[in-house]
Amino acid sequence: MTDYILEMHNITKRFPGVVALNDVSFKVKRGEIHALVGENGAGKSTLMKILNGVYQADEGKIVLNGKHTIIRNTTEAKAHGIGLVFQDLNLVNTLSVAENLYINRLAKRHGRIAWKTIFREAQDFIDSLGFNFLATEKIEHLSAAQKQLVEIAKVLALENELIVMDEPTSSLTTTESEILFNIIKNLKQKGVSIIYISHKLEEVFSLSDTTTIIRDGEVIDSGPTKTFSRDQIVEKMVGRSVTTEFPRKACESGELVLKVDNITRKGLVEDISFELHKGEILGFAGLIGSGRTEVAEAIFGAESYDSGVINIRGKKVAIHSTHQAKQEGIGLLTEDRKETGLVLAYNLIWNISITNIDKIKKKYFISEKKEAQLANELSKELNIKTPSLKQYAINLSGGNQQKVVFAKWLFSDVDILILDEPTRGIDVGAKYEIYLLMNRLAEQGKSIILISSELPEVIGMSDRLIVLSGGKKMGELNREEATPEAVMSLAVSN
Amino acid sequence: MKSNAIVSNKKKAVGFLREWGLILAIILITIVATIIRPAFLSWANMLNILRAYSTIGIASFGMAYAVIGGGMDLSIGSTISLTAVVTMLIVNGATVGTVTPASTALLVLLVGILIGATIGAINGAIIAAVNGKLAESFIITYAMQIVVGAVAQAIVKGHFQAAQYRAGLFKQFGIGFTPVIFMLTTAIIMQYVLVKTKYGRSLYFLGSSMGVAKMSGLKVKKIRFLTHVICGMCAGLAGVIVVARVGSASVLQGQNYELDALVCVAIGGTSLDGGNGSIMRTLLGVMVIGFMMTALNILGVQSNAQLIVRGAIIVLAVALDVLNKSMKLKEVAQ
Repeated sequence: MTDYILEMHNITKRFPGVVALNDVSFKVKRGEIHALVGENGAGKSTLMKILNGVYQADEGKIVLNGKHTIIRNTTEAKAHGIGLVFQDLNLVNTLSVAENLYINRLAKRHGRIAWKTIFREAQDFIDSLGFNFLATEKIEHLSAAQKQLVEIAKVLALENELIVMDEPTSSLTTTESEILFNIIKNLKQKGVSIIYISHKLEEVFSLSDTTTIIRDGEVIDSGPTKTFSRDQIVEKMVGRSVTTEFPRKACESGELVLKVDNITRKGLVEDISFELHKGEILGFAGLIGSGRTEVAEAIFGAESYDSGVINIRGKKVAIHSTHQAKQEGIGLLTEDRKETGLVLAYNLIWNISITNIDKIKKKYFISEKKEAQLANELSKELNIKTPSLKQYAINLSGGNQQKVVFAKWLFSDVDILILDEPTRGIDVGAKYEIYLLMNRLAEQGKSIILISSELPEVIGMSDRLIVLSGGKKMGELNREEATPEAVMSLAVSN
Repeated sequence: MKSNAIVSNKKKAVGFLREWGLILAIILITIVATIIRPAFLSWANMLNILRAYSTIGIASFGMAYAVIGGGMDLSIGSTISLTAVVTMLIVNGATVGTVTPASTALLVLLVGILIGATIGAINGAIIAAVNGKLAESFIITYAMQIVVGAVAQAIVKGHFQAAQYRAGLFKQFGIGFTPVIFMLTTAIIMQYVLVKTKYGRSLYFLGSSMGVAKMSGLKVKKIRFLTHVICGMCAGLAGVIVVARVGSASVLQGQNYELDALVCVAIGGTSLDGGNGSIMRTLLGVMVIGFMMTALNILGVQSNAQLIVRGAIIVLAVALDVLNKSMKLKEVAQ
């Protein structure tokens, strides 16, 4: 028995044109929580994909439990007891939670599936983890956060000795994250080792024993987490010093742009009213499932509302479709950029121009020249990092993809922007750029609604905050009143 | 590194086949057929092939729109049958002596396209109203196929209609270059609309992701409706031309057209998942099928064996598409 459950020695991985990992060594002790941090594209995922058998290292070796091990594919990784919780969900939407948990090994009785046993065991397991949903519920009826919890439960059910968690809290609220942290601490006590990948440094500090920092395919530093300061880690991650504070400055708000009165979607949101002014950033705070996105969908015409009145620039409008909302000057950056924000298989130009094809027409027909030129201007303005705008969206890092979604809505020339979790799953550097961009847009006279589950972000960036809980508006706070305590106490008050 | 080189060579080969495979296939078929039967490479034979496949071509272009938009239209077979029998009724009715007046020829062209547009509009309206998953267009248009087929049957009561004319503009529609010109004109217009208009671009987005299309503020329902109208219009036009070409009409006129069109679309490299494809490549797909089937005929291959070959081509086209996609994904993952 060695102290290390996993040793990855001198791993090098080359892809045509780039060295993704250069002589990386990475060791995980038995029973420790080992944080792996780095910007998007630093090589964390590649390293984990090698561990999981998705890729083969060009050089270097993997030692599992003191034994030199070759992992050729994901099945072998599973057989070696490596569990993975990925950011991307791998659930079957039309099946129940229990079926998803035990999908490969459904208990049988007399050759038939023993549903009763399965559902009972699944429910016990879910309850033991402290999650509050039913084993019989279909995945499609769960919220994004609950789906993530199922994904986690699925891996936990395998009782592995080594678990890799890649951004497990990216779609969880504070409450659910706390549940997860307790689970992780329990696992640690049972001797399970956990590789924890996260952009949220608070989590790294509160959870991990050891931290390894990767940048540009190389290990920059590795050591006990308590020996690092937050700023040190950030600096090592990005290779430069970065301010982590929020750049929002208080400002005079202009004329009333959007006035929403008593918007109600039966069973989802009830009597939500608020005002939005020119050049203002209005924050929507609340837990996941509190109705923030549901309000946004109604205003953007993506879903219909049962009652309520929307006034835009003093004119009453009934919004029936997303197209109409866009005509009225409303844009929505959805919380899921991969599903509803971008077509990943199309190039950036197409993705940017789709909101306003009329703008790239010459007489009646699309001018590709004009299209490329306008997209290029926006791309420069937003500092989108890509070798070419002909690149497919899928090849960009999360932060750059998010900038493309911004570009797409700036292209449409709307002046009310609803941003639903605009910094989810993107790295520190890109986050800061997005904050600066939000500031700049507000200065230019755009009005912004910011929906965010990250409390410091929504407090730090908003001029005014409304807090939702259980589909109802619990209160409205100005910049001075909006302390984390004040927001949280409203968010959990229903 | 060695395995990487193999992968990248394989990728290049697949990429090359995707890019030039269709033209390569047409050349290969021509070479083989010409070696065995030199008459294959004659002007008359080439024109024959083009003419014989002009109506499948026109129908395929409409189908390509539906498929690019992420749907399908299985009602085009019946639409062609209905248009064909109505066209023949009008033409025969208006024929004086043995000559069809030119105005009648233009009238049936209009009526045929209108019939197609109407059926497409009904398809489109139901699909837009349901606005569910894209696979639903399969069921809805299949139901339409049955209904329209019955309407055609009721109009002619199963009778075969033979042409009573010997000359006139309508006859011209079916002879010489005219059907080919109809096909090429349709192809050029539809390709241009696809790449140069807001509708065309929106169609691609709808086909690749309804979520993105909706959340980008596109008029999803309108696009779906319009697409089925256009697809119907193509079928209507094909129905008129096919009557002019063969000089008769029956309720079986359009039989299997929907499947033939789908095959041509698939062979043309349009993914049945939607979101990509082009009319020009669909045209090449039609030509591959046309050359292949004609070659098999000329070489005296039995019709059963021909069907086997046709089936094999479909599987090959789909396999190549899947292979290409997985290659693309690998490329992307790196």
